[in-house]
Amino acid sequence: MTTATATSAPGRTAHRLWTRSRGVLLGLLLLVIGGLTLAALQSGEQHGRLDPRSADRTGSRALAQLLASRGVTTDVVTTTEEAAAAAGPDSTLLVTTPDVLTSGQLADLHTATHHTPGRTVLLAPGTAPLQIFAPGVQADPRIGNTPRPPGCSLPAARDAGDVLLGGIRYATSATTADRCYNAGGSPTLLRLPATDAARDTVLLGSADLLYNHHLAEQGNAALALQLLGAHKHLVWYLPSISDPTSTAPATQPGLLDLIPSGWRWALLQLALAAACAALWRARRLGPLVPERLPVTVPAAETTEGHARLYEQAHARDRASAVLRSATRTRLAPLIGVPPAHAHTPDLLLPAIRTHLGTSDLASPDLQALLFGPAPADDKALVHLADQLDTLENSIVSQERHAPREHPDR
Amino acid sequence: MALTGRTALLSALGALVVGFVLPSWLGILTVQLALLIAILCDLALAAPVRKLHFTRTGDTNVRLTGEAHIHLTITNPDRRPLRAQLRDAWPPSSFRPGDDIPASRHTLRIPGGERRRLTTTLHPTRRGDHHAVRVTVRSYGPLGLAARQGSHHIPWTLRVLPPFTSRKHLPAKLARLRELDGRTSILTRGEGTEFDSLRDYTPGDDTRSIDWRATARRQTVAVRTWRPERDRRILLVLETGRTSAGRIGDTPRLDASMDAALLLAALASRAGDHVDLLAYDRRVRASVQGRTARDLLPALTDALAPLEPELIEADARGLAATIHRHTPRRSLIVLFTGLDTAPMEEALLPVLPTLTQRNEVIVVAVADPRIEEMAAGRHTPQAVYAAAAAEQTRAARRHTADRLRRHGITVIDSTPTHLAPDLADAYLSLKAAGRL
Repeated sequence: MTTATATSAPGRTAHRLWTRSRGVLLGLLLLVIGGLTLAALQSGEQHGRLDPRSADRTGSRALAQLLASRGVTTDVVTTTEEAAAAAGPDSTLLVTTPDVLTSGQLADLHTATHHTPGRTVLLAPGTAPLQIFAPGVQADPRIGNTPRPPGCSLPAARDAGDVLLGGIRYATSATTADRCYNAGGSPTLLRLPATDAARDTVLLGSADLLYNHHLAEQGNAALALQLLGAHKHLVWYLPSISDPTSTAPATQPGLLDLIPSGWRWALLQLALAAACAALWRARRLGPLVPERLPVTVPAAETTEGHARLYEQAHARDRASAVLRSATRTRLAPLIGVPPAHAHTPDLLLPAIRTHLGTSDLASPDLQALLFGPAPADDKALVHLADQLDTLENSIVSQERHAPREHPDR
Repeated sequence: MALTGRTALLSALGALVVGFVLPSWLGILTVQLALLIAILCDLALAAPVRKLHFTRTGDTNVRLTGEAHIHLTITNPDRRPLRAQLRDAWPPSSFRPGDDIPASRHTLRIPGGERRRLTTTLHPTRRGDHHAVRVTVRSYGPLGLAARQGSHHIPWTLRVLPPFTSRKHLPAKLARLRELDGRTSILTRGEGTEFDSLRDYTPGDDTRSIDWRATARRQTVAVRTWRPERDRRILLVLETGRTSAGRIGDTPRLDASMDAALLLAALASRAGDHVDLLAYDRRVRASVQGRTARDLLPALTDALAPLEPELIEADARGLAATIHRHTPRRSLIVLFTGLDTAPMEEALLPVLPTLTQRNEVIVVAVADPRIEEMAAGRHTPQAVYAAAAAEQTRAARRHTADRLRRHGITVIDSTPTHLAPDLADAYLSLKAAGRL
C-alpha cells in the first residue's frame, strides 16, 4: 500500500501543478502572442524614420545626398553625449525627435551648444524642449499638413516659396523672431536668433518636408537645404533608447500620470476588489489543528556522532584498534581459539597460520595486520580495513568448504 | 462571516462601472453599496450554522495502517436550505500525508428540515488516541457572495492500535508449540523422537526424571523431558524511558518491542500461560493483569495503543520494586529495554540479581540495522571511521549482553524484523527446557 502511494504521488502532484498553472500559462501565451502581433503590425511604417541612411518613404537619404553634393558633411549621432561633442562652432545641429529626450538630456545639449556659433533645428518640439531651447515660445495645437506660402522676410523661406508644412504652431512675443508659414494665425516655422552668440534656433512644426517622398514636392527641398546647409557641418541627431542618459528618471511621468483621470477611480475600485479577494483568501475554514509531535531521535545517533568525531580528529589509532579487535573477535571462534585469548598474538597468530596453511609467506604481514601500529594516513586506514576483510573472507570461505568439528558443539 | 471569490470578482467588475459610467466618489460609493446590499441579502438567506445539529457514529478503534470511517449526521432544523462547505477537523496524523485537506472537507446541501450523513475516512499514521477537534461549517447564501461560518465541537475518539505486524509468525510458532506438546506427530526435533527429547541434567531438575539408560550411553546425566508445563506466569515489562524513543527507520524502538510483546502474548496465551503487562519509566504507564486468554490480546493492544516513549531516564530501582509487587510467584520476566552501557551498568545490573533469584528473566533489546550497515562500510575514510564507530557500539552491546548472560539472563538483541520471532523462539526453548 505504501509503495502504491509513493509511486502515484509525484504523478498526482505534477497533474495538480498542471491544472493549477495552465490558466496562468494560457494568459501568458496570449499576452506574448498579442505583443508580437502588435509589434509586427506597428513596425512597418516608422522604420528608419528621418534616418539620413534610409531610403524608405519616411527616411531622409535623398536630403542627405543633396546636402553632401552641396559640400556639407553630415555626422549621424545617436546619443546626447556624441551630439554635444560633434556640435562644434559653425555647425548645424538637427534634433529629429526632441520630445523623446529627457529634460536632463535637453539641458545637456543646450549647455553644450548655446555659446558656440551655429544653428539648432528642432523638428516638431513639444513643451519640454521649448522650455529649454526657446523659452517664451508656446506650442499651439496641431494643424494638418498642406502647402503654405512663406509670408515672411526670411531669405530661405522666400527663396523656397510654398512648402508642405503644418503640425505644431508656435507663438512668441519676441520681436527679433522670423515667423513664417502661418497657419491659422501662428507660424509653423519659427527662427529665433540668440541674443548673445551668433546662433539661431529654428523650430519646424512638422518634419514631413524632410521625408524622401515629400522632398521633391513644392519648395520642400530648397527650404530643407537652406535650413540645414547654412553651415559646412551638420550634426544629425537621431535620439535612441540605447542612450544611457535617456533612462535618467528626472521628470519621467509616473504610472498614475499616464492613466486617464477617469480610470483612477476605477483603479481605486480595483484596489477595493483586491481587498475583497484578500478577505476571501484569508478566511480559513476553521483554525489550524495542533498536534503533539513525537521526538525523532535516530537510534544510531550516538554511533553516527562517534564516527564523525573519529573522522574530525583523524583518530586512526582508535579506529584501527577497534577494527582489528572486531576482526580478531570474529575470527577466534572460527579457528578454534577461545574468545578470552582472541587478543593474544602468541595464541591467535599460529592458529590462523595453520588454518590458512600459508605460514611462511604471510607471517610478518599477519602480525602487522592484526596487531600492527596505527596506519599513517586515511588511505592506509582504508587499505587496512580492506585487508582485514580479505583475511576474514578467506577464513570464512575455508570454513564453509571444510567445516571443522567444533569441540563446543 | 466569510466572503467568496465571487465578491472579489464582482468588485473587480465594478471597476468597469466606475471607469466608464461614474468616475467619481459617487461611483465608488454606488458600487460598494450595491455589493454590500447583495452580501447582506446573501447572509440573511444563508442557513444559520449555530442551529445545526450533529451526531457522530463510526469506528472507535483501528489498527495502524488501517482505515477508519467516522460518520457525521447533520440535521438542518431551519427552513432555509443549507449550502455549505464542512470541515471535519482531526489532527494531521489522522490522514494520509498530504491528504488532510481533501479528506477532511465535504460539500453538502441539506434542504430545510432534513438531515444528511457524510463520512470522513481516516488513515491514521500514528498510534494512540486521535480526538476529533471541531466541525466547522461555512454556510453560503443563494448568491454565493458571502457565507456564515461557525464551529461545533462534536467529540469522538479513535484509538489507533499497534499494527501487530508480527502476527504473520504466529501460525509457525503455534505449530512449534504443538510439537512441544506432543499433539502433532511429526518427526522433527521435539518430543517425537527419543534422542532429541533428552537433555542435560541441570540442578533443580527432578531426579526421578533422569533417564539412566540414556545416561549410560553418554558422558553426562540425561533427563527425560515431559509435556511442557502450563499455567506459568509471564510478565511483559516495557521500559518506556528515553532509550525506547530512539528511532529505527521511522518507528521508535518501543513500537518494535510492542510488536514482539504482542506475538509473545498471543503465543503464551495459547500455550496456557498467564500473561501480564507492565509499562514503566518513573511510574506505571500501563498495566494489564489477570486477563483470561480470550480477552488478553484486545486488552493488551488497548493498553499499548496510547503508550509513547517519555524523554526521561527510567528508574531501574523503582522498576525492580514494581516487578516484585507484580510477581508474587515465580514468573518469566520479559524486560524490553536498551543495551546501552551506561544506563544498563549503572542502574539495571545492580537490581537484576534480586529479580533473577526467583524468576527467569529475558532481556530484549532492539538492535539497529543501521549499525550493521555502518559496520560494513568500506572504501572511503568516512565509511571506515563509521565502521569503526559501529564496531565499537557492537562491542559495547556484546559486552553488556555477556555480563547479563553471566547472571543467567537470556539476552535477545535483534533487529526489529527478527525481534518478535527470536523472542518467540527463546520462549519456546525455555518452555521446552522446562525453565519457566
